[in-house]
Amino acid sequence: MSLSLNDILFYFLAGVAVLSALGVILQSNPIYCALSLALTMVSVAGLFASLSAWFVAGVQLIVYAGAVLVLFVMVLMLFDTKTEKRAFSKGIVSGFFKIVSAAMIFAIAGGAASMSGDARFSKLTGVVSATQSTKDLADLLFKKYLFSFEAMGALLLFIAIGAVALSRIQGGTHAD
Amino acid sequence: MPTSAVVVDSISSVGLNHYLILSAILFSLGVVGVLMRRNIIVILMSIELMLNAVNIAFVAFSRYLQNMDGQAMVFFVMTIAAAEAAVGLALATTIFKKFREVNIRYFEHLKG
Repeated sequence: MSLSLNDILFYFLAGVAVLSALGVILQSNPIYCALSLALTMVSVAGLFASLSAWFVAGVQLIVYAGAVLVLFVMVLMLFDTKTEKRAFSKGIVSGFFKIVSAAMIFAIAGGAASMSGDARFSKLTGVVSATQSTKDLADLLFKKYLFSFEAMGALLLFIAIGAVALSRIQGGTHAD
Repeated sequence: MPTSAVVVDSISSVGLNHYLILSAILFSLGVVGVLMRRNIIVILMSIELMLNAVNIAFVAFSRYLQNMDGQAMVFFVMTIAAAEAAVGLALATTIFKKFREVNIRYFEHLKG
């Protein structure tokens, strides 16, 4: 079996993604968890690019690795993370069942994926430049999904107001 | 003809299944994180991990079916993820202000 450049790229990015995802759930210092999550996001963006979804890859980098991760790290900096006493929930029996239930989810999803036969990606047909695929995506978002797209804008506004209202409980940030 | 056309060779041995199984692995790791961790912020990070796994499946199917709708869905998932992170972190700050610790067990004491 000969590995093409695409295969090597996929296995490398998938390995980085899985290892850094393990880092997110295993490290006890939340800052390291956030940095591992950043690595996961970047490798997922690479996977999107390997699937010729260029615009989604860019948005993944900007929104996740840029905005969401910075939000996480900023909130972590707000807290005194050194005082964390117990990173994992206790209980060997319940922990065992938690792992087993996650493994069952993986068995269902992975089993369904591997039983669906040997599905290969066909060659992209037609014009497949990055500009054209971005144009097609914009066509979808602003024509077919226009209502959902605008509803998302309204949702983000409500969420912003709600987040401010939530953090004002107890009389704002200066109360203590 | 466009000069920057991207042609993925069909002799590549990585297919749809590889991406789907990677997506399943990342999703299960996210589930383990949500179930096992006590820190609210790490739980939120695990949820982001699960949403990312779903995004990989969406984009892989979009590539397989040569249909852009899957990529449009990824946008909606990303928006929801950002909104969820904002509200979750606001709740985490509220808990921290009250209890000086961001542990999930304080959620039940959060009233009014």
